[in-house]
Amino acid sequence: MSLESLSSFLSYFWEVRFHVAELAVQHVLLSLMGVIVGTITALPLGIFATRYPKIGNYAVDITGMLYTVPSLAILGFMLPFLGLGWLPTIMALIIYSWMPVLRNTCAGILSVDSAVKEAAMGMGATPAQVLFRVELPLAFPVIMAGVRTVAVLTIGVATMGALAGAGGLGELVFTGISMMDTNRTLVGAIPVTIMALLADQLMGLIENRAKSRMGIRG
Amino acid sequence: MENTVIDVEFQNVSKYYGKEKVVDEVNFRINRGEIFVLIGPSGCGKTTTLKMINQLVPHSSGQIFVRGKNVTELDPVELRRSIGYVIQHIGLLPHLTIRDNVNFVLQLQRVPQKKQRERANELIKMIGLPDSYLDRYPHEISGGEQQRVGVARALAADPEILLMDEPFGAVDPLTREQLQNELLRLQKTIKKTMVFVTHDMQEAFKVGNRIGIMRRGQLVTMGTAMDIVNAKDDFVRAFIGREAVFSALDTIPVFQAIIRDCPVIHEGDAIDPADPRFKDWENVFVINQNGHCLGYVSLTDFKAHEKVTTEKLREITSPCLPSDSLKKAIGEMLWGKRAWLPVVTKEGNFEGIVSFQSCVSILALDD
Ligand SMILES: Nc1ncnc2c1ncn2[C@@H]1O[C@H](COP(=O)(O)OP(=O)(O)OP(=O)(O)O)[C@@H](O)[C@H]1O
Ligand SMILES: [Mg+2]
Repeated sequence: MSLESLSSFLSYFWEVRFHVAELAVQHVLLSLMGVIVGTITALPLGIFATRYPKIGNYAVDITGMLYTVPSLAILGFMLPFLGLGWLPTIMALIIYSWMPVLRNTCAGILSVDSAVKEAAMGMGATPAQVLFRVELPLAFPVIMAGVRTVAVLTIGVATMGALAGAGGLGELVFTGISMMDTNRTLVGAIPVTIMALLADQLMGLIENRAKSRMGIRG
Repeated sequence: MENTVIDVEFQNVSKYYGKEKVVDEVNFRINRGEIFVLIGPSGCGKTTTLKMINQLVPHSSGQIFVRGKNVTELDPVELRRSIGYVIQHIGLLPHLTIRDNVNFVLQLQRVPQKKQRERANELIKMIGLPDSYLDRYPHEISGGEQQRVGVARALAADPEILLMDEPFGAVDPLTREQLQNELLRLQKTIKKTMVFVTHDMQEAFKVGNRIGIMRRGQLVTMGTAMDIVNAKDDFVRAFIGREAVFSALDTIPVFQAIIRDCPVIHEGDAIDPADPRFKDWENVFVINQNGHCLGYVSLTDFKAHEKVTTEKLREITSPCLPSDSLKKAIGEMLWGKRAWLPVVTKEGNFEGIVSFQSCVSILALDD
C-alpha cells in the first residue's frame, strides 16, 4: 500500500467514521446475541449429552453436520421462514455456535477426574452440587475454549448478515465489493478483524486464568 | 469391653459386578472409637467394602448398619455427610484453594461463613500445616501435604465415623510413618470410629486396633495384632510376612507376655535356696507390704536359710510398664544385654517379668 492510498483510506475512514461506529455496534450486538444464545442453548444440551451419551452422540453429530454447511446456504435456507433482517442472521450464528460449545462441554465434563467427582459425592454432594461445584468449574477452561472459537467465528460470519439486511460491518464490505471501492471494503473488514482478534485475546485470557489456578499450564 | 456401641455392622454382605462376586458374604462389627483396618492384596475388594459403608457403591445382598440404622433406609446424601471419607486418590478439588477444599463439606451444608473460617483454621493446625497454606491451590503443595489436607477435609464436619482408603498411599516411607504417628496422636483427642484401608501390613499393625484380612472378596481373618500373628491360615501367614511381625510387636502390650509366677518374698523374710518354689529360678524378687518392688536377690548368693540383707539386694533397673509395647521391651533387652526385664505399674506395684522367651511364646500360642 503506498503512502498515497493510505492517506486516501484514512481520509475516507474519517469521513464515514460515525457510520462505521454505528455499523460496528450493530455488528457487536449481532455477534453477542449469537454467542450468548448459542452458548445458553448448547451448554445444557452438552450436560445432558454427558448423562445420556447415546442421545448425546446424535446431538453432537447433528450440530456437527450443521457446522459444515456454508454460511450463505444457511442464511438462504432461513430466509423463507424468518424473512429478512437480523433474525435469520442471529439464527445462523446460533447454529454455528452449537457444535463447538456442545462438543467442548461434553469433553470438558467427561475429562473431570473421576476421583475428584467421587470425593465430592463421598462428602455428600447432591448430583446438582457435583455438577455446579465440581464438574462445571473444572470443565470451565475447556468450555471457554469452545466459546472462544465460537466468538471469533461468529464475528466473521456476522459479516454475512448484511446480505440478509441485518446491518453490521458487512454492509460496508459487500457494498465496497460490488462498487469495486477498496477503501469502503477495508473500512468494514479491518474493524471486523480487530474485533475478532480482541475477542480471541480477551477470552484466551479468561481461559488461561482459570487454567493456571488449577495448575494446568496455559 | 463393656458398653461398646457398634458403629458399623456388616451382615452377610456381598457385592456383584455383573456375575463377578467382588465382595463375598462379609461379616464384621466395628466398635465406636476403634480403628479397624482392612487389608489384602490389590483387587481383593477393600475399596468396594469401604464404599458400601457410605453407599457410594450399593451392596447386592446382606445388610449394612451404620450407627444402628440400615443404610438402605437412609438418605444417601445425609448418610455421606455424617461420615468422613478420605478417598484412595486424594481427590482434592484442583480449582479450589486448600481453604475451600477443607470447607467443602461445610459449604455443601451451607454452614455460615464465619464458622467455616474458624473451622479451617482449626483443621489446618490439627494437621500441622501453616495457616498460609489455606490460600494455596492443591498443585502448590506436596503429595504428603495433600494427603493431610484430604484427612482434614474428611474431619471438617466432625463426623463420628471416618473412612480412609489408603490415606497415606502416595508418600515416601518416612513421611508415611510421620503421618501415621500424627493420625495416632490425633485419634487420642478425636476418638473417631475409623475404617482404614491399606495394603501395608506394617501400617495395619501400627494403626489398627483390629485388623481384617481380605482375600478375593472374603474376610479371611479378623482380630487384634496378636490374633493376626497367631493365625494358622497359610495365606494369612504368607501375607503378613516375616518383617511385619516386628510391627506387630509394636502394638502388642507387654502385659500379654508377663510371667506372673516368678518367685517373690516379702521384705524382712528369710530365704531358703532349697525352697521348691524357687526351683528353676535364679532370682527372687523382694516386695514390701504395699506391693512395691524393692529389688531382687540372686539365689546363688545364699548358701543356706538366711535373711535378706541390703547388701545382697540388687536394684531393679529399667523396668517396663504393662502398657509398653513388646517392641520397646525387646529393644530394651537387646540394648541392655539382658534376658529379662521387671514389669512394674505406674504406681510401683510389681507385676512380674518379661523375657525373650515369654515374648516368643505368646507369638506361638498354638505351636
Ligand atoms: N465399577 C466396577 N465395575 C466392575 N468391577 C469393578 C468395579 N469396581 C471394582 N471392580 C472390581 O472389583 C474388585 C475389587 O475392587 P476394589 O477396588 O474393591 O479392590 P481393592 O481391594 O481396593 O484394590 P486396591 O488395593 O488395588 O485398591 C476388582 O477385581 C475390581 O476389578
Ligand atoms: Mg482400593
